[in-house]
Amino acid sequence: MSQSMPDTPDAIRSSAVPSRSAPSGPIGHSSAVPGDPATAAELVRLTIDGVELEVAKGTSILDAARQIGVRIPTLCHHEDLRSSGVCRVCVVAIDGMRTLQAACATPVNQPLTINTHTPEVRRARRHTIDLLLANHHGSCYTCRRNNNCELQSLAQEYGVDSFRFGHVESPRHPIDSSSSAIVHDPNKCVLCRRCVRTCSELQEIGCLTVVNRSDEARISTFAENELASAICINCGQCINRCPTGALGEQDQTDEIWAAIDNPEKFVVLQTAPSPRASIGECFGLPAGTSLTGQINTAARRMGFDAVFDTVQSADLTIMEEGTELILRLYNRLVKGDATIALPQFTSCSPGWVKYYEHFYPDMLENLSSAKSPQQMLGALLKTYYAEQAGLDPKDIVVVALMPCAAKKFECNRPEMCDSGYHDVDFGLTSRELAKMVAETGIDLPNLPPSDFDDPFGAGSSAGLIFGATGGVMEAALRTVIELVTSKQVEDFYDHAEITPVRGFEGARLIEIPIHEVGPVPALLQHLVPDWNWLQGTTLKVGVAHGIANAKRVVADIKAGGPFSECHFIEIMACPGGCLGGGGQPIPTTAAIRAQRTQALYAEATGYRLHKSHDNPVIQRLYTEFLTDGPCGHKAHKLLHTHYTRRGKWIL
Amino acid sequence: MLVTEQERLREFVEAVVAHHGASRDQLIPILLAVQDEYGWISDFASQHIADQLAIHASEVYGVATFYHFINTRPKGRFVIRLSADMPSLMNGAEVIARQLERDLGIAFGETTADGLFTLEWTSCIGMNDQAPAMLINQAVFSALTPERVRQILDTCRQQLRAHRPICSETKETYVDGLSYAAYQAESALSKALQRTPQEVAAELEASGLRGLGGAGFPTGAKWRLVAEAEGETKYVVCNADEGEPGTFKDRVTLERYAALMCEGMTLAAYVTGAREGIIYLRWEYGYLRPQLEALLTARREAGLLGCGIMGKAGFDFDIRIQMGAGAYVCGEETALLESLEGFRGEPRNRIPYPVDFGLHGQPTVVNNVETFATTCLIVDRGAEWFTAMGTERSKGFKLLSVSGDCAKPGVYEVPWGTTVAGLLERVGGGGAKAVQVGGYAGHLVPAALFERKIAYEEFGTSGSIIVYGPQRDLLVVAENYLKFFVAESCGQCTPCRDGNAILLEGMQRLRQGRCTTDQLEQLIELGKSMQVASLCGLGQSSPKILLDIAAHFKDEVMARPIAA
Repeated sequence: MSQSMPDTPDAIRSSAVPSRSAPSGPIGHSSAVPGDPATAAELVRLTIDGVELEVAKGTSILDAARQIGVRIPTLCHHEDLRSSGVCRVCVVAIDGMRTLQAACATPVNQPLTINTHTPEVRRARRHTIDLLLANHHGSCYTCRRNNNCELQSLAQEYGVDSFRFGHVESPRHPIDSSSSAIVHDPNKCVLCRRCVRTCSELQEIGCLTVVNRSDEARISTFAENELASAICINCGQCINRCPTGALGEQDQTDEIWAAIDNPEKFVVLQTAPSPRASIGECFGLPAGTSLTGQINTAARRMGFDAVFDTVQSADLTIMEEGTELILRLYNRLVKGDATIALPQFTSCSPGWVKYYEHFYPDMLENLSSAKSPQQMLGALLKTYYAEQAGLDPKDIVVVALMPCAAKKFECNRPEMCDSGYHDVDFGLTSRELAKMVAETGIDLPNLPPSDFDDPFGAGSSAGLIFGATGGVMEAALRTVIELVTSKQVEDFYDHAEITPVRGFEGARLIEIPIHEVGPVPALLQHLVPDWNWLQGTTLKVGVAHGIANAKRVVADIKAGGPFSECHFIEIMACPGGCLGGGGQPIPTTAAIRAQRTQALYAEATGYRLHKSHDNPVIQRLYTEFLTDGPCGHKAHKLLHTHYTRRGKWIL
Repeated sequence: MLVTEQERLREFVEAVVAHHGASRDQLIPILLAVQDEYGWISDFASQHIADQLAIHASEVYGVATFYHFINTRPKGRFVIRLSADMPSLMNGAEVIARQLERDLGIAFGETTADGLFTLEWTSCIGMNDQAPAMLINQAVFSALTPERVRQILDTCRQQLRAHRPICSETKETYVDGLSYAAYQAESALSKALQRTPQEVAAELEASGLRGLGGAGFPTGAKWRLVAEAEGETKYVVCNADEGEPGTFKDRVTLERYAALMCEGMTLAAYVTGAREGIIYLRWEYGYLRPQLEALLTARREAGLLGCGIMGKAGFDFDIRIQMGAGAYVCGEETALLESLEGFRGEPRNRIPYPVDFGLHGQPTVVNNVETFATTCLIVDRGAEWFTAMGTERSKGFKLLSVSGDCAKPGVYEVPWGTTVAGLLERVGGGGAKAVQVGGYAGHLVPAALFERKIAYEEFGTSGSIIVYGPQRDLLVVAENYLKFFVAESCGQCTPCRDGNAILLEGMQRLRQGRCTTDQLEQLIELGKSMQVASLCGLGQSSPKILLDIAAHFKDEVMARPIAA
């Protein structure tokens, strides 16, 4: 279209540089150099709705308006993502410009006079909303996002009282429910592309894309494969950023209710650390409200036969994964077995595991063979616990309350049946549990708290902090340091808080010099004779969260960079770790993730136990059940797994 | 697919990528090259290309499905694309369409059982002066008649059996009064090199030349801004994606005066310090590529491109051609840049502007064919010569592509300020009911306003003039326009993606006599919102036809009887 592009010749000069990647903020890479005072931002004066203010050059009009409390509605904008300015809901009028500009995507680079609610602006916004509604199928009251939908809110805000341009009466596109984790309903899609920017830019997975053009444009995958056969890792980050009900988890609440209502079945709930710090958000509480005991009470009232803490198996994971690491190091460094792969990657995050299987099928041996805490506990519940409680494992239904969409896929992996049954029957997201609770009328936030059931009651705070990025590494280090040095972690780190591994930088490297070693504890004596080989060495570990950062870490390893010298690397698929998981309450922002993290660390300080190896339940397991110790034969059968070389080709 | 076939495809893709370079910005050329060999881009090919470029297969697929002329499903050996522009329809394109369907035994959108022919409609292919016209693969056939259709199809079959390519069959476009014809090659460039880049920019600024693609940004200022902008690399991009229905003057310039365009690009390089120039050539003009490549080679050999141009040490500049793949919206300069970078041709938010943040984020001059060619005349003859023509705010002259109901369709050079009536007289368009000035995105001028001027002050234009005779049904016209905008919207922003479909529906209701006054008012209101709220010029200008009809022909369209 070289022709007739009416446009304003009043070019506005700028130096702000748009980028195709997600904004580097709290979830960016740690290598970003913090603000250099020499290049401190130049200030620009502007006027918004008659109010004068000064902002740093390059600030978006949207952010500038927020600074003075002027609210501009948005739809395609999400603070975790690059601004795209495509929905046109946030348009504002700028003096001297013929057309309206998207507030989210327009940087303030020179003095501007802006009006956010001229008649023209209001009419344009209303029209945009009307057009979106004209192509949106579904009734709010049958939608999972009823009362938590940005399109619905906009319609209400702009006084939509009729479908001015019509309404879709019956679905025009098939719903893709092929995936065990994620359901995509294009009929509810408003083409804001937040999911695409999440998948391709924030996470850099590249499963979702925009296909076709014009009014045939839609969100799909490569060659329009259904999600089950696409290169989707089920992280569910797209769900968290979808403004409508176009993306959601595979809802299994009906099946779970059926199990609860079946008197033959003994239905147990295991609860991961993260949902307890977030579920309050589904009931109107501020982010960062811990409701551990309330969830237990609610679950019992709903009819769950027992409630267990996944923190227990997180502690067990530390023992297994930590021992695996020690064995790898010993066999490589002492026995000189060059086939042993290092660094060892954590395997608790099923999104990460599937990503790794797709993109690095030739490096599978670097993944720890330890199952995730969810799967370890499932395997124990249908073996050890069934035996103890005198239950037939076929009657036990294990429901795992997880912050995660990918856990639904994980529990359905064919190899996760080491108990002889599906070790875990259902992965249940925080959102789904909230929905189930709501159905019962139970007032969860105001319930009296209650404890978990034995034997898998409260574990150590080390297992609890698995929910935050760096948590697995901190838990592992607490145990490794004590087992190797025979000293208390508290001798090195106050309150056993290994703060260098905490934080939100995208990828971080931590070095722990081992100056002294102690005797090998009884539990490990059959595996290594002594620790002398570790004396004077430096344990190098890494932490990364979000697939984009994980990808950089692996690339760095392949290129022989600093991460290639690591012994152990924790990777979580989701930004912020499990607390930011794809099964968590919507919305998600950096601030919300930080508040959830804070809640978890605060709860951790109240724990009596801080180290996985001190956990008496774990100790008893190794004496009563897993008698050949960590990474022993029985542990291997029940608690370890293997991976699939998936690759990224769809043939 | 047999393993050996997969291997062959793999090797082919690797060779193509090696030839073009494993760089994202080569994605579209690579896709077109693979398609030239295989006829379409299979999933397997997409994944190989993605693998070679280290991008996700989904990205390749997203790009491939954006462009009309990249096939992600197999099509016939001969893809026939009949131009659906208004002048074509006015000259019997529908009759040609029926003839094609009868001869091939298929409907539009289908492929013959023998896999030889696929039949499609396409947006304007720039042959309006000899409409109706169609593309068969990249060959053009114009001035079609039902009898010729059969002959052309036979020729296709014969050429296939003989393993010979099919060749275009077109007529000469009538051209009237072009200053380009009298230009002495390289006189602007040699004069420019006697002066500083700043002086050349100042000359252009003094001439008042505004971008002739329609947006009308002052050209001298644009070049100066790029010259002054901070940036390691600067680019000069020629927009040869002439897609506005009804325009073909850039085609004529490319056919006959492409050297001026190259020289103009070289002037821009001299002013801005750019070392790389790119001609973004619309896919529909692919048949012009060989002669353009030959021109570039000749210029290199003559020292007019390459290192030390015209003996000036340090003045290094070269030009390459990159093909579009079928997207009107890529004529929008930021969409064009996205396409050049290997992405879907979706316009960017236009702060920052390409002068600061253009190709690969670097300061970039984007001008169209005509603008570059015209700069040569100005630098050669001086700003005063240019400003002596035109009006207060529209200096100099303009090339117009004239088609529709007129005796002498063709390319005309007119000084800005010419009245519509004056033009009609020159082209033999007497008795017209209305004239579309500036293509589908421009102004529908009713007879009552024919004394007004073609100039930025009144009716600015990119150069497309379509004359509508007294018998034309303007609602048929409007429906055709809106179908075009619906098909060509990039689909990115809400007002354009969804709004055009609503406007089209409204036009159809109007034609059926079923549009109430209230509904018409609502459509007008929606149109006004689209004009200000759409992200780019496409959605900002597509409602113009509705608004013009409502302003000038309301009584006529509302008097429409209710259709049975």
